[in-house]
Amino acid sequence: MTIDGVSPSTVLRPESIEELAQTLASEKGAIVPLGAATQTCFGNPLRRADCAIDLTRLSRITEYNPADLTVHVEAGVPLEQLQHALLENNQFLPLDPWNGPRATVGGIAATNAQGPFRATGTIRDWIIGMKVVHVDGQISKAGGRVVKNVTGYDLQKLYTGSLGTLAVIVEVSLKLRAKFPRTATAIARPADESGAAALIASIRNSALQPISCEWTGPENEVLLRFGEHPRAVDWQLKNLPAADWRVLEDADEAAAWEKLRGRYGQLGPLVLRVIGLPATVHEIIKTYRPAAWIAHALNGIVLMQISDADEIPQIRGKYRAVIEKAPLEVRRKIGTFGLTDTEYDLMKKMKEAFDPEGRLNAGRHVDGERN
Amino acid sequence: MKKEVIKKLREILGSPAVIEDETELLVYECDALTLFKSKPDAVVFPWTTEQVAQIVRLANEHRIPFLPRGAGTGLSGGALAVEGGIIIELQRMNRVLSIDADNRFAIVQPGVVNLHISQAVAPYGLYYAPDPSSQMACSIGGNVAENSGGPHCLKYGMTTNHILAIEAVTPKGEIIRLGNAAGETVGMDLLGAIVGSEGTFVIVTEITIRLLQKPQWVKTLLAAFHSVEDCSQTVSDIIAAGIVPAALEFVDAKTIEAVEASVYKAGYPQDAAAALLIEVDGFREGLEETSNAIVEICRRNRSYDVRVAKDDEERARLWLGRKGAFGAMGRISPDMITMDAVIPRTRLPEVLAEIARMSDRYGLAVANVFHAGDGNLHPLILFDGRRQDQVEKIHRMGEEIVKLCVDVGGALSGEHGIGYEKKEFMNLVFTEPDLEMMMRVKRVFNPDGLLNPSKIFPTRRACTEIGKHTTTSTAEIGKRVDEVLRGSAR
Ligand SMILES: Cc1cc2nc3c(=O)[nH]c(=O)nc-3n(C[C@H](O)[C@H](O)[C@H](O)COP(=O)(O)OP(=O)(O)OC[C@H]3O[C@@H](n4cnc5c(N)ncnc54)[C@H](O)[C@@H]3O)c2cc1C
Repeated sequence: MTIDGVSPSTVLRPESIEELAQTLASEKGAIVPLGAATQTCFGNPLRRADCAIDLTRLSRITEYNPADLTVHVEAGVPLEQLQHALLENNQFLPLDPWNGPRATVGGIAATNAQGPFRATGTIRDWIIGMKVVHVDGQISKAGGRVVKNVTGYDLQKLYTGSLGTLAVIVEVSLKLRAKFPRTATAIARPADESGAAALIASIRNSALQPISCEWTGPENEVLLRFGEHPRAVDWQLKNLPAADWRVLEDADEAAAWEKLRGRYGQLGPLVLRVIGLPATVHEIIKTYRPAAWIAHALNGIVLMQISDADEIPQIRGKYRAVIEKAPLEVRRKIGTFGLTDTEYDLMKKMKEAFDPEGRLNAGRHVDGERN
Repeated sequence: MKKEVIKKLREILGSPAVIEDETELLVYECDALTLFKSKPDAVVFPWTTEQVAQIVRLANEHRIPFLPRGAGTGLSGGALAVEGGIIIELQRMNRVLSIDADNRFAIVQPGVVNLHISQAVAPYGLYYAPDPSSQMACSIGGNVAENSGGPHCLKYGMTTNHILAIEAVTPKGEIIRLGNAAGETVGMDLLGAIVGSEGTFVIVTEITIRLLQKPQWVKTLLAAFHSVEDCSQTVSDIIAAGIVPAALEFVDAKTIEAVEASVYKAGYPQDAAAALLIEVDGFREGLEETSNAIVEICRRNRSYDVRVAKDDEERARLWLGRKGAFGAMGRISPDMITMDAVIPRTRLPEVLAEIARMSDRYGLAVANVFHAGDGNLHPLILFDGRRQDQVEKIHRMGEEIVKLCVDVGGALSGEHGIGYEKKEFMNLVFTEPDLEMMMRVKRVFNPDGLLNPSKIFPTRRACTEIGKHTTTSTAEIGKRVDEVLRGSAR
């Protein structure tokens, strides 16, 4: 196994949280926690790797309380396995990360991975508690097992998106929602960019509440997904702004979203996640003329394929932008997150507080951001 | 505190914006948790972020503790100046700075009253969702600090789900900004850690909040039950059926008695053992069916009366009773303790039954009025502060209730925070390493501990010691709640 050109000398596959804790208590080298390894090229380049820890054997759904709409799972549970178990009770998690259903719950949390369901939130909104193992083998938890809780600091939020650089996420407690009674997807292909932009503007200013709203380019396709009471879905479909809509349901609908995921897979090799505002999405596209893009149009976020890494600093002069995908050479040169000085300073202090020797995923996050 | 410090504070703010007079300070010796009192040395009223930063730097120079305060409606002693020092009262920073209706966010100062935000954005068909029952008085800064909830958080989430970005003054007096108006986390979620940190990480001086479109349609129902058990079973059944009401609130007979005898009179059924105030909202299409499904579940659980509010006026009245419930308790009891704990929703019937047994055992009445949909209990222990025998019992009973909730897998607080009130209970739910990790994060933000000291973390004093404070009469709580609900709180 090689990540960013470094190969760990050992790969361990702990069967339990306790076993992992014991391993970390005695391990003195650089540690690389891994889920399904679907996201290993996100983040700053890994610098050292002595011991990789494959978490896929921590794969138990430890407790599922359908009537409470909560579930507690070990970090190595793949999202699809969890969704499958939830579906038996007509429940689910509105998470559809681009890296696919094989991704583990722990990995999704660590990378804060997202997909078209971004319009309804991200994994942080569903996490109610977390158990982690620290670099010295201590086990700690934050949050709890109930859906509403302000007991103690929300450290689970800090661990989310920290790329396993503060601690190893080993168990995640989530709240759930009932499966949408019905979903339907409407797809249109306006003639040009301005047409797509106008269409999206009228959606934003309407009473419609899509659970996904994606604008892909250069083909200018607009995908809207609705999930509600069947009659509310019907009403929304009837009240779509004028365009040549194709409405898909069931297998056709699923296929359309799977196709979009494929589209994401094709973006690259250099993809930037540009953070603007809903009303500036078109402006972003017009200004930077990406070769291809997928925009979470209602969130003001554009994933855009650019050709030249030298554009990144210039774009960052105007917008926050995270490197979504990039070849190793680029990631070696340019920090993934483009942090502000305040963020950099605070995150660095967090890293030092949790992992003073910099042994957890060395270089991946803030410790590799500015060289 | 040294005269020199007061003089410098006056240089920063002008004379009237600094209080040091002993009698004037009395107002600031507690928040809405009147059980604990501790007088600050000075209270200051800044207008600008820069002034806040200057005050903080001055306090640092002199090693004086300081803490922010919003409207003082907190119920866990978060704004209590435990070690004296300077209270930085933010109520003068009360402007809505900008509204971006197109992108659905607003930028506000921390002292803006929660309800005023929704009023300010109403012309755009928008509103701010988290609605603590104290929303007529509490500040958005206090909401951010406590990660406050409210009846509608069942469907729309807590404060943390609605805060996009902040400006803040660090405990060293630097001005920082975190987050972005798109609400997209970049790197670690520092903002997520700050929301709910109870004023112990930073002083928030500007807040970018998410606005929502007003729902197309709303239906409000009141279902009455002859038994508490049937009522709480209904809650579990609604949730288990996958229905997400906008709000699902529980009021028991004692609460109804108090509300109906008060100015918050809402027409609640006085022969009921308990009732549910249920609201569904969203698209008009389909809402009738959802509401019918709820009615059906209520009937199946032997609800003898389900009433649907006919118009906005009736709706508002039903809500007035719920929101005024804490305040109404003064009608039936001279004193009370407001508790706040969370349990898994399926355990409601057994936990409420156990609390009723405790109430009999201790001979102390308990009123239950709470956010049932997310299992967030608010048992109100009613007592008479003049009766020493009762005063001695309330704390033991309160502790027993907390332990009961923890034992069924619950949490110490669902929305009021740990503050000063519950810090000694933290050991019940968190281990040493859990607390150590929280302390590490606190040290990153607040390394010298000058900002809002003696909160959240247990000091390992014997629990009974908290009991000593209870000899202070708590008669003011009811009065205080009344003030809050009339919007006249300080
Ligand atoms: C009748 C009544 C009903 C209530 N109902 C609810 C309810 O339904 N849901 C709910 O969650 N709570 C409820 N509360 C509790 C209380 O109103 C909330 O906790 C509220 O958010 C406190 O706001 P405040 O402005 O009064 O804050 P304060 O009481 O002034 O302060 C609370 C804490 O916030 C800190 N703080 C204040 N401003 C800032 C700032 N700008 N930056 C950083 N820290 C700051 C303070 O240091 C303190 O620790 C209720 C209280 C009452 C009296």
